[in-house]
Amino acid sequence: MSGRSRRDLLKIAVAGAAGAAFAPSPGRAADKTVTLLHESSFIKTFDEYMQRTLAPAYEKETGVKVVYELTSVGSLPTRISTITETGSGADVTMIFLLYPFLFDEKLMDVSDIAEPVGKAQGGWYDAAKEAAVVNGKWKAIPHSNIGQLMNWRTDWFKEVGVTKFPDTWEELYDVGKKLKAKDHPFGFELGHGFGDNHGWIYPLLWSYGGHEVEADGKTIVIDSDETARAVDFARKFFKDCMLEDVLGWTDPSNNKAWYAEQISCTNNAESILWLAKRDFPEIAKVTDQAMNPQGPKGRFHLLNCISHSVFNFSPQKQEAHDFLRWVMDEKQLGGWYASADTYYQPFLHAYDNAPMWQVEPRNIPYRDAMASAHLPGWPAPPTRQLAEVVAKYVTVDMFAKACAGASTKEVIKNAEAQLKEIYKTA
Amino acid sequence: MTIRTEPLIGIAPASRHRRPASLAAWLDREAVFSWLMMAAPMLFLAAFVGYPFVYGILLSLEDRPIAHAGTFIGLKNFARDFNDPIFWRVASNTFIYTIIATLLKMVGGLGLAVAMNQNFRMKNLVRALLLLPFIVPTVLSTVAWMWMLDPAFSVFNWFLIGLGMPKPGPSWLGNPILAMASIIVINTWRGLPFYGITLLAGLQTVPPELYEAATIDGAGGWQRFRYVTLPLLQPIILIVTLFSVIFTFADFQLVYVLTHGGPQNATHLFATYAFDIGMGAGQLGLGASVALTMLPALALLILALTLYMRRQ
Amino acid sequence: MVTGHSRVEQAVRVWLPVGVFLLLALFPFYWMAITSVKPNAELYNKNMMPLLVHNPTLKHYVGLLTETSFLLWTWNTLLVAVISTAISLVLGTMLAYPLARMRFAGSGLIAITVAAIYLVPQPLLFLPLADVINRLDLGNTLTAVMLTYPTMLVPFCAWLLIGYFKTVPKELEEAARIDGASRLQTMRRIFLPLCTPGFISAGIFAFTLSQNEFLYALIFLTKSSVRTVPVGVIAELIRGDVFYWGQLMAGALLGSIPVALIYSFFVEHYVAGLTSGSVKA
Repeated sequence: MSGRSRRDLLKIAVAGAAGAAFAPSPGRAADKTVTLLHESSFIKTFDEYMQRTLAPAYEKETGVKVVYELTSVGSLPTRISTITETGSGADVTMIFLLYPFLFDEKLMDVSDIAEPVGKAQGGWYDAAKEAAVVNGKWKAIPHSNIGQLMNWRTDWFKEVGVTKFPDTWEELYDVGKKLKAKDHPFGFELGHGFGDNHGWIYPLLWSYGGHEVEADGKTIVIDSDETARAVDFARKFFKDCMLEDVLGWTDPSNNKAWYAEQISCTNNAESILWLAKRDFPEIAKVTDQAMNPQGPKGRFHLLNCISHSVFNFSPQKQEAHDFLRWVMDEKQLGGWYASADTYYQPFLHAYDNAPMWQVEPRNIPYRDAMASAHLPGWPAPPTRQLAEVVAKYVTVDMFAKACAGASTKEVIKNAEAQLKEIYKTA
Repeated sequence: MTIRTEPLIGIAPASRHRRPASLAAWLDREAVFSWLMMAAPMLFLAAFVGYPFVYGILLSLEDRPIAHAGTFIGLKNFARDFNDPIFWRVASNTFIYTIIATLLKMVGGLGLAVAMNQNFRMKNLVRALLLLPFIVPTVLSTVAWMWMLDPAFSVFNWFLIGLGMPKPGPSWLGNPILAMASIIVINTWRGLPFYGITLLAGLQTVPPELYEAATIDGAGGWQRFRYVTLPLLQPIILIVTLFSVIFTFADFQLVYVLTHGGPQNATHLFATYAFDIGMGAGQLGLGASVALTMLPALALLILALTLYMRRQ
Repeated sequence: MVTGHSRVEQAVRVWLPVGVFLLLALFPFYWMAITSVKPNAELYNKNMMPLLVHNPTLKHYVGLLTETSFLLWTWNTLLVAVISTAISLVLGTMLAYPLARMRFAGSGLIAITVAAIYLVPQPLLFLPLADVINRLDLGNTLTAVMLTYPTMLVPFCAWLLIGYFKTVPKELEEAARIDGASRLQTMRRIFLPLCTPGFISAGIFAFTLSQNEFLYALIFLTKSSVRTVPVGVIAELIRGDVFYWGQLMAGALLGSIPVALIYSFFVEHYVAGLTSGSVKA
């Protein structure tokens, strides 16, 4: 024992002096280890729950050590890319958006976890299946949604006689016009961020009936009256209700504008309210959240499904698989969800009425939005072509250019040409 | 001490044993010595630049989605790029960005060098302070600029509104032209000090006698500058410019943090676009093809620059 | 020597232009300093004059140093910068000395190749390099960046040193050769010690580039414990869509002021090295 503890001491000393930095990625110890890769959570207590409660509990129960590797927000795709390209680095990973589809050949089929979990916990939302089922097989276990919904200033809306959030885009437009005149404009991102731009642009497009590509993954239908109507709406929405600066906004911009009290309405995840309650309580009091307005063809929301996948090339894939099944059991899952105060909206119906929703009732619209949530690019299947469309901001820029002054006909034609070029290989 | 006149190579001092002497002598031959000396760095560069470069070229000729095997498709990626309107926007952005920023840095740098080429106390401190924009990590200073360019908080807007412009003032990052202007300004701000301090070094090697001679011949300040200073500075200007052009052309951080290529691709550069395609869309081959097109573009720019300066 | 300028006129000729440049260069730093001591309530208050702070606080600095791994990142950055610079200087010298001093077949070609390496853009290299790094099992280690940074530093160091080496008079080397020293001995014992200013100048520049590097660090270093300052700050002081502005600015200042102080110490040599190196190249 003394030899081992001396070795450990030496290891700690070396690691301390040069930073564990010099050593190559931790080799597999004699005991089994499962590495869970996650993006560091906006809500710290969520990560801590895994680190301090779940991981030790699992180790106690099974002897398998769980290493929770956190990577910074925005770098998860890069990390996953590296792991899949090189064949090592983690066993289970958080995954989102279109990535289960891009990486599907390297992900384990986890239908044997998903089906029982769904049955036992009230069934999956359809949106969850949309995000995680690839060619009939579950390649990821959906965990939760990070919804994008309307945030609005109740005090300023009241000043123009509105106490309930408008139900349709046109009604929202009317309110926005009045508020802009009172120097409380709206601010919806039209720049090259990742979340906040798609978070309202796709729902707007869908709610007018516009689509880029059909569900067959080949037919380009963006040039339609529906799309034109959506674009025309966006243009007047921008001109009459918003700050000009939104054309260059990235994701943090609307948060900043909110706390600076520049804007009266935007779309966002729960982060604005959450941080306001902590640092700007006066603003928090007058901030409320609501589902997206509806258009002629319905009410839609953007799906941002956080899931977990197992890498099928991992030497520990069986252990990883078992760990995932354990985590998704309600004994563990309920606590994990609750640790984040509904920042993560569960995809299992069993949690629709969980007590955690009563902690901050203003978050309840996020739960209700899941029934109408879809992945970017819907109804086109999430393929590499769609990923390219998203990465090149084809749809975002179509709207942005129209708002900046280009004609609707022109921007749609350009977007169509781009889509045709990208989908040539479909 | 005797003075030897015969060449040393191949001739061993009498005290040395014959065989090691010829090995030592062989090692001392210019070619042998040189190649052996350069072996380590060449191997290093071959492994970490040469190999990835060749790999990158091969990637650009493949259809290579992430986590999938690649299939050779020849020049199809490049064909796709040439049909991609964003690609051409990116190309023009990068050229405009590089050319204007470099011109500004060159002129500004010269001005700075001339201003600093006088003796005064605290010169060293001032020189160090002037280098700060160059030293501070780009991403951090860019974050600071992000705030400074927000119309609601910008001192620039504050002044302009004070002078009568309607609120809220220019949208520096929302308007495509202003956004390009903004990144040019930030890049110039960042790079000018380096240009200036380097040119200052060059200025300080100009012998004062030349200035005196020119003055005696009746040359005024501006003429002295044009006919004495500039020609002597030319080699150093050329080199700093080449260096600056290369780095500006391949710039990534500034745009990635500030606008991520927006608004509507007005500030997208080759590096950021290649990154989005490779890491965002998972199209490694296509991303590599965009990155690879930087090479001939850059080579062209440098060739043009070198020819122009040689002609002067 | 032109005489007759009064003291005041002298001061204006110096300080007016210099002052303008100082203002332009340092204005953003003033902004950073102000922001780093502004409490959040003041920071977001758009009605206040942005250039003043009413209730300065050290909260952001404390938060930066205690709640984040900023100090660890700084240590990583310094370590990487020093070692990358050392590697680059050594490899650069090994390239520069033969190219500057020796005549041999192929020297022209090598010189052009080294210069051409600069034309190879980082965005092209990062994907294949990621593969190389991972094959060597160096992902998420500082060794990864210590090996990849010199790829952009070695050519520059070599180029600068070539220029510098060419300005050193050959007599001392020739004398040493006549005395029977081998080329290696000559190089190491006679020549290199004369070149300290050149090394300082190349070293300072390499150090700056290295501590400022972002793309490779972004790709290779995704664990907090191995991050360098540029990536760590951007990745962790920006959580999702929330920027911790005060801490970011504190990080900016803490990350650059010490380096500037080092520079002011070395700047004489830096300038001297550049002068001889560049003008003759």
